[in-house]
Amino acid sequence: MPSNKKQNLFKRLWRKTLSDYVTAIAWSLDGTWLAASSAAGEIVRYEVQTGKATVLQAAQGESIDVLAISAEGEFLAAGGQAGTVWIWRLENDASTLLKTLEHPRTWIDCLRWNPQCPELAFSLGRHVQVWDAMTQGVITTLNFESSSVLDIAWHPRGDLLSVSGNQIIKTWQRQDWDDDPTVLETGAASEAIAWAPEGTYFAAGNSDRSLLVWKEGNPRSWRMQDFPGKVQQLSWSMPTENNAASNAVLGAPLLASASSASIIVWTKDNNPAVGWNPRLLDAHRGKVSAIAFQPNSRLLASAAEDGYLCLWNKGSHLTQTLKDAPAELSCLVWNHSGDAIAAGDNQGNVLTWTKTMAGKGFG
Amino acid sequence: MVTTAERTTVPVTVLTGYLGAGKTTLLNRILTHEHGKKVAVVVNEFGKVGIDNQLVVETDEEIYEMHNGCLCCNVRGDLIRVVGKLMRRRDQFDHLLIETTGLADPAPVIQTFFMDEEVRAKAQLDAVVTVVDAHHVQQHWEADEVIEQIAFADVILLNKIDLVTETELEALEERVRGMNAIAKIYHTHDAQIEMDALLEVNAFDVNNALQINPEFLNGTEPKHDKTVGSMTLIEPGELDDAKLNAWLDELMHKQGPDIFRMKGILNIAGEDHRFVFQGVHMLFDGARDRLWKPDETRKNELVFIGRNLEKMNLAESFRACLV
Repeated sequence: MPSNKKQNLFKRLWRKTLSDYVTAIAWSLDGTWLAASSAAGEIVRYEVQTGKATVLQAAQGESIDVLAISAEGEFLAAGGQAGTVWIWRLENDASTLLKTLEHPRTWIDCLRWNPQCPELAFSLGRHVQVWDAMTQGVITTLNFESSSVLDIAWHPRGDLLSVSGNQIIKTWQRQDWDDDPTVLETGAASEAIAWAPEGTYFAAGNSDRSLLVWKEGNPRSWRMQDFPGKVQQLSWSMPTENNAASNAVLGAPLLASASSASIIVWTKDNNPAVGWNPRLLDAHRGKVSAIAFQPNSRLLASAAEDGYLCLWNKGSHLTQTLKDAPAELSCLVWNHSGDAIAAGDNQGNVLTWTKTMAGKGFG
Repeated sequence: MVTTAERTTVPVTVLTGYLGAGKTTLLNRILTHEHGKKVAVVVNEFGKVGIDNQLVVETDEEIYEMHNGCLCCNVRGDLIRVVGKLMRRRDQFDHLLIETTGLADPAPVIQTFFMDEEVRAKAQLDAVVTVVDAHHVQQHWEADEVIEQIAFADVILLNKIDLVTETELEALEERVRGMNAIAKIYHTHDAQIEMDALLEVNAFDVNNALQINPEFLNGTEPKHDKTVGSMTLIEPGELDDAKLNAWLDELMHKQGPDIFRMKGILNIAGEDHRFVFQGVHMLFDGARDRLWKPDETRKNELVFIGRNLEKMNLAESFRACLV
């Protein structure tokens, strides 16, 4: 690894504790608070400045696995092993439970808000249901059919909904849910799918240790293989403007992928025959549990079971390591402005870090 | 960076048995028994388990074909999806029980615990327990599932013995033993059995010595059932490591689909430790075991369970690996 210029970009703000494994974290739109959930089923809201906690839901014994706040910041949705989807309305300082959607004996494994309007898509076994927060009614129930749903991703424009499972990915059009979906063959189970900002590319991380990338509108894919394990985490950066690599395509985003303890960042090569060039980010000594590019930047954050949070400048150079978590990190989320990070660990600790003065002006 | 403390794994019992064999009775018996264990159960049909305060998860059998390099096998996608999430709450249970449908092939369940990196990191197979209806099995020998469930088992309950005579039971046991030389066989009424015989059996611990009942090592031809049977090889002498590897590679590659399970203890030339292994279809798991004891006769013992074993020329090709 080239010599690293280490910087203290972020410093720890506080650490709080839930009663079990931290499963998910969601930031409010303005970054003043966040919600965190645990495998014991609790959902707690924390004020960022003060660390003050408000229990939205006490531990009820069944894990909450997914949390998401709508694009306009008006609604918080949660789901998990109880088979219930809870939706809170967020107003000023209050959070009011608006609706519970009951689906007994089904685990709610994924849940995503449309990036353009308050429509919530969530998995129900082999189906995906789309629910409208404005009318509080179900818009459609999509039958994925071939297997249980493993991941869901909205196109950034909000007009396409992609759903992955075993062997295939189906994409439905929001303007006509009844129309047949477009089908992409993957040859494996895709546990992670992601649209690039502006929807220019689409990626799928697969159980056969491969990564597939499509350019929008082209059914042919690039295939990257021989990862050390399943490819379970993906994150796209904003489009590059002045990439250091001279042979990189201007305007193409970076794609970070995590597999076991390895992170590989892919840069689109100018030469279409070459495809994507890999760079291995090798610092973690435990399975990488989450990766995420800072919003509107190419600073990559990674969290792993070794307890470390790492920051990688331009998706390539290790610039800071933070070992503040007492246990194995399980999740990681940037706030929307990119000046704070929250992460959780498998012992229930929720931690936040904020930008230092040195952290201004990078990325 | 330093890795965190090594994670221990939760033992997993797989419960199989043809329709009506008494699987649900046994499941409920395990769940109500005061064994002091907190058991989580994955079932295919929720309604049958009427136990409160137990973590019961219902899943539909989903078979995924998995390709990793040259390996190709079927795994249970539904188990991959739920086991990882269940394991997040480690304090909630200390044993996982997976009930399969009466018509399920046990191989994908077992292969999931070998193949999937996450499942393997968090859970370890303890044993495959198969319940056989001692009376009605006579009508079901034509079903492949019945044969496979017996062939894959570590523990077999010949259940409902009140419905058969002593002679019928003996004949049944002999037939079952011919198919599976390594399973422990119990005779039960109403699936009544000591928990020690079912849980924490460590049948998939490769370091757990292979136990072959000497009665079945008399060199007699294995009894076959619908071409499914067991074969035991015991050979003195030392093995050439390279030849052995080549033999195993070829065997798994060519005969993998027909080899349900295999286990063995081997004496490798130039090595003072025993080498132990097990396999399921095309999956292989081997490890260096303890030192051979000074007074111990060094030898090779292997057991195969599978289809058409007699056509594989196992004994002769194995002997060719000796130094």
